[in-house]
Amino acid sequence: MDNAILSVRDLRTHFFTKSGVVKAADGISFDLREGETLCLVGESGCGKTVTALSILRLVDSPPGRTVGGEIWYHQEDLLHSSPARLRAIRGNRIAMIFQDPQSSLNPIFTVGDQIAEQIKLHRHLGKREAWDLAVSLMDQVGIPQARQRAREYPHQFSGGMNQRVLIAAALSCDPEVIIADEPTTALDVTIKAQILDILKRLTEERRMSLLFITHDLGVVAEIADRIVVMYGGRLAESGTSADIFDNPKHPYTWGLIKCLPDMSRDQDRLTPIPGTIPSLIDPPQSCIFHPRCPRGMPVCTREMPPQITISGEHTVVCQLYKL
Amino acid sequence: MKKKTQNDKLLEVENLRKYYPITAGLFHSRVGDIKAVDGVSFHIEPRETLGLVGESGCGKSTLGRTVLRLEEPTAGRVLFRGQDITRLDRKGLKSMRREAQMIFQDPQSSLDPRMTVGDSIDEALLIHDMGDARERLRRVEELLDRVGLESYHYRRYPHEFSGAQKQRVGIARALAVNPNLIVADEPVSALDVSIQAQILNLMMDLRDEYGLSYLFIAHDLSVIRHISHRVAVMYLGKIVELATKEDMFGDPLHPYTVALLSSVPIPDPHRKKERILLTGDVPSPAAPPPGCNFHTRCPRAFDICPREEPFLKELAPNHWVSCHLYR
Amino acid sequence: MSRLSARLGGVRNALFLLAVLGLGLILLADILLVDHILDPWGYFNLFFIITALLYGVYPLFVNRRLTRYYWERTRRNRIAILGLAFIAFLTLVALVGPLFIPDPTRGNIGEEDMPPLGISYEQSFYDADSGRIVSQVVTGTWARPLGTDDRGRDLLAMLISGARISLRVGLQAILVSISIGVIIGLVSAYRGGVVDQVLMRFTDIMMTFPTFILLVLVVSIFDANLNLIILFIGIFGWTGAARMVRSEALSLRTRDFITASRSLGASDSRIIFRHLMPNVMSIIIVMMTLGIPSVILAEAALSFIGLGDPTVASWGQILKAGQESLDTTWWVAVEPGIMLFLTVLAFNFFGDGLRDAFDPRSQV
Repeated sequence: MDNAILSVRDLRTHFFTKSGVVKAADGISFDLREGETLCLVGESGCGKTVTALSILRLVDSPPGRTVGGEIWYHQEDLLHSSPARLRAIRGNRIAMIFQDPQSSLNPIFTVGDQIAEQIKLHRHLGKREAWDLAVSLMDQVGIPQARQRAREYPHQFSGGMNQRVLIAAALSCDPEVIIADEPTTALDVTIKAQILDILKRLTEERRMSLLFITHDLGVVAEIADRIVVMYGGRLAESGTSADIFDNPKHPYTWGLIKCLPDMSRDQDRLTPIPGTIPSLIDPPQSCIFHPRCPRGMPVCTREMPPQITISGEHTVVCQLYKL
Repeated sequence: MKKKTQNDKLLEVENLRKYYPITAGLFHSRVGDIKAVDGVSFHIEPRETLGLVGESGCGKSTLGRTVLRLEEPTAGRVLFRGQDITRLDRKGLKSMRREAQMIFQDPQSSLDPRMTVGDSIDEALLIHDMGDARERLRRVEELLDRVGLESYHYRRYPHEFSGAQKQRVGIARALAVNPNLIVADEPVSALDVSIQAQILNLMMDLRDEYGLSYLFIAHDLSVIRHISHRVAVMYLGKIVELATKEDMFGDPLHPYTVALLSSVPIPDPHRKKERILLTGDVPSPAAPPPGCNFHTRCPRAFDICPREEPFLKELAPNHWVSCHLYR
Repeated sequence: MSRLSARLGGVRNALFLLAVLGLGLILLADILLVDHILDPWGYFNLFFIITALLYGVYPLFVNRRLTRYYWERTRRNRIAILGLAFIAFLTLVALVGPLFIPDPTRGNIGEEDMPPLGISYEQSFYDADSGRIVSQVVTGTWARPLGTDDRGRDLLAMLISGARISLRVGLQAILVSISIGVIIGLVSAYRGGVVDQVLMRFTDIMMTFPTFILLVLVVSIFDANLNLIILFIGIFGWTGAARMVRSEALSLRTRDFITASRSLGASDSRIIFRHLMPNVMSIIIVMMTLGIPSVILAEAALSFIGLGDPTVASWGQILKAGQESLDTTWWVAVEPGIMLFLTVLAFNFFGDGLRDAFDPRSQV
């Protein structure tokens, strides 16, 4: 737990639906250290968004409930913090950026107002100062003519510009941690590149920690210091960016890297991962990737896979590496 | 373009335009146009896949639909085996529909939720009167099998399928009438990465097996590179560059293509490359900039660009670029 | 037949056409033979029964698997099933009940103002023999479990025959209004442009129409006739349905499966009947279920203010008769009131349950 700002330990967030218990996050652990960018990688329904929302206790309840685990922010377990304390942390110490910038902004207020509002909520600043700070933040995230554009409404902004506004709002209280949930997924490639660039620059300048949630391995390679790969609500593998891309150990990580078409060379055939994404309703008490795994063994259907340390921080949850 | 004999091209699109009127006021008078497709020409040969790439709002989907006359073109010609389909009457259009089909982006919305998937595929055969009930049933089962589904799936409803399975059904439906051309509009972008490869492989197998041509529309350049023979890059309703895959990815000429290629994040942390960041946003197709419509974002724009509109020129064999840099 | 049905977009439309043709033939016979086979309301009722069977019940049977799926989803909603059970019970009572009960219109001398079972009250009446007002405690009996009214009519019998009337009002009026609404909504959405403009402005006008004043006028000119009231409620009640169907159909039109059908070469009628119709059917069913109680209430309200058909004892009529003596024989008004309350509640519960079951977004 050395210099970890945020420590998630064995997080279990389940959704209690009439069809059964959806174990969206089922024993997730990771550390987010000061100044680093950690990528939470996985496909739809792997529980990455639920994990992120659970950190700030933003999961809709009912049907969702965090039934177990710990979330340490400095010396405080957020799962046991009071609602007032949580409100003081949200947006102030830990800020969040969402996938769909258009729906994350209120259409009836100007973008400047919305950033200034966020500032006034957590900092004791006057109206004028808050507004000036909002404009300067908009300037920092690369919105041209920030002073004029601050008086415009979200619908007058493009998706990329709105995402910048959200980043500006997230930065407004100088948070220690930013949680970004697929912030570039809804954007076009050229705009995506701009946003990634801004996030990289700002986290470096301000030594912020970034928890970046995405399914796009290209984006991961671009931005991550360390990577956590999730599958079916559980951890599959974690390690540094080099560990994961150069020396993937989990069969799912192999598959994920191998199934992508390569932009820089020709391939005859792709190697897909067979089968489909599993349902998280009452998952088996054994490896959840087993039905799609090319290296599956009889033991995989019987036991939960163990967590094994490969080297340093590289760990994998798989029977293959059991001694 | 060079005059070739009509037969060696499956599809020829000439100066195609699709404008949507912007109306205002009580009487819906026309105050302007959204130029979704603004003078596009290209051709597709038999068994060839042309990749069409561009950012959202560039008009690539509209182009795909207009080529199949699912949208009425404002101007221009679409020749299918030499026959202009923009002039076909209802009957002619119906028989054209047996030759050219479509695969959609969103497998969720491309299947009627109140029809069994078998009936959805069968609808194609029914409309074109292809055989009696028994023959059609056999054909649907054959198609299901071909796209990797089972015959018992016939009586299932779309909600009982995963996204990839629904996309397989959509492909089977398109194949049912034995088409020569398939317009695939972002067929894998709604699917998870680990699933995309399954569908791409299937589409490539079918291409070889049935001798299909694809107009493959996507925003994902790596997918485009994987499946296409030639690639067209669109920006604001126009094709800015058209070349073979090798030329397009090896030697891109248009500044937009260069920037687009450099923006794609590569899943390899060691390959850090020089990135050309485009500034600003894509302008609105309702009011495209004058001259070259890319000049507002172009890192290499010069005096002539805002004044004069560039045209597609063949700079090297089969490598067409629309840019004032190459005069 | 199969050719024809393919042309019309399904066996169902062919059957519908045949039924309409049949009705036309009967009408022709009626006119030519000057013999009343059916009265005008008979045609009206028959037509809607056929429509309901073909477009409501038939698809449920044809798409058994889908029906079962929606049934499974609805079934998980306890309250909806409670509502459905009540509706089913009420329908059964309304259908076969009148066969087993005494004539609800016949008064029983000597049994006036009987309280329901288990209730006693002091009844004062003029005793002709003594020439004085005497009081006597009256207790409800098994013979008249729900008591009687001031003419000694059996309230249980009246409520049962009233159930038949109220349900008929609800079902028929809603069928009229939904049919008009669906046709206007679908045509408006599918044709678009000027047709859409004209139809929607017409809908706006209908919405702002002073329906109530017109009804008072109509009732004062003609006699208040139950069928007339049904038709009236139906003809002025379709605007909401038209708007809802239109907006639903508009959003469906942009869905890819409609484009897919067009790209396969499907005709307009095929798209409307095979794709649009079945997909708006779910909201039609929900609208009907939720619309029935408001129609029943509307009829009750009309009866209550004296605009109802006085020749039929609907729940509203009983309620109206009872409210005059609310301080003594309160049950005469309270009992139909409870029935109305329960019925409205049951339809609303069931309708809400159906809506949730049909909504693909909801995780029931």
